[in-house]
Amino acid sequence: MDNYQMEEDPMLTTFVVDEVRKIINESVESILGGNVYQHIRVKQWNSSVTEQCLSHLSKLGKPFKYIVNCIIMQKTGAGLQTACACFWDNSTDGNCSVKWENESMYCIVTVFGMAI
Amino acid sequence: MPGMEDFHNGSEGSFNSDEADSVVKECIENVVAGDDYSQSQVNKWTASIVERCLTQLVKMGKPYKYIVTCAVMQKTGAGLHTANSCYWDTAMDGSCTVRWENRTMYCVVSVFAVAIA
Repeated sequence: MDNYQMEEDPMLTTFVVDEVRKIINESVESILGGNVYQHIRVKQWNSSVTEQCLSHLSKLGKPFKYIVNCIIMQKTGAGLQTACACFWDNSTDGNCSVKWENESMYCIVTVFGMAI
Repeated sequence: MPGMEDFHNGSEGSFNSDEADSVVKECIENVVAGDDYSQSQVNKWTASIVERCLTQLVKMGKPYKYIVTCAVMQKTGAGLHTANSCYWDTAMDGSCTVRWENRTMYCVVSVFAVAIA
């Protein structure tokens, strides 16, 4: 008698940080790469970055709810500090934060993923 | 995103953003009201704000997972723009964002609540 045990692939049910980091980096680079901070365009950039990240994340097809947070700040020497605290299931949920910059601006994107 | 700012009427099974709003405002006031932006303290402030908010929210005893984020920025005339996008169950889940400022700094706190099945 053959005993075949089906094991759940953890890659399918847990938050994989590297995969998400790659998605964020690609989205930010494609939208902000080569651009200079401009007040009139920043709202559009922000929406584009969050929407693109979210659509790539949902395409992963995992049973997760996602929250994407994007901050774009002009480089003028001002100080910025961000923090987050989460109350969730440590074994399945996770987050990934990416800080990107060019000569004129900083962009911080954070993705939170929670298993359904 | 449209719909994210809607007020849910405190009914069982949906997120009450008004309640969360007042919890967050109170936590921010308790931590930074009356202080000027300080490079050495800001780390402590953001950590305190998120921890306090989270503790108060969890005390409400509702069946939610929570995420609290906080950004504190010095007022120097620089431009700052933040955006959130969420992929979730719009009937049960919700968020609330509070913008606070004083003479020397801005503070933006966002709370996301995701219903546990």
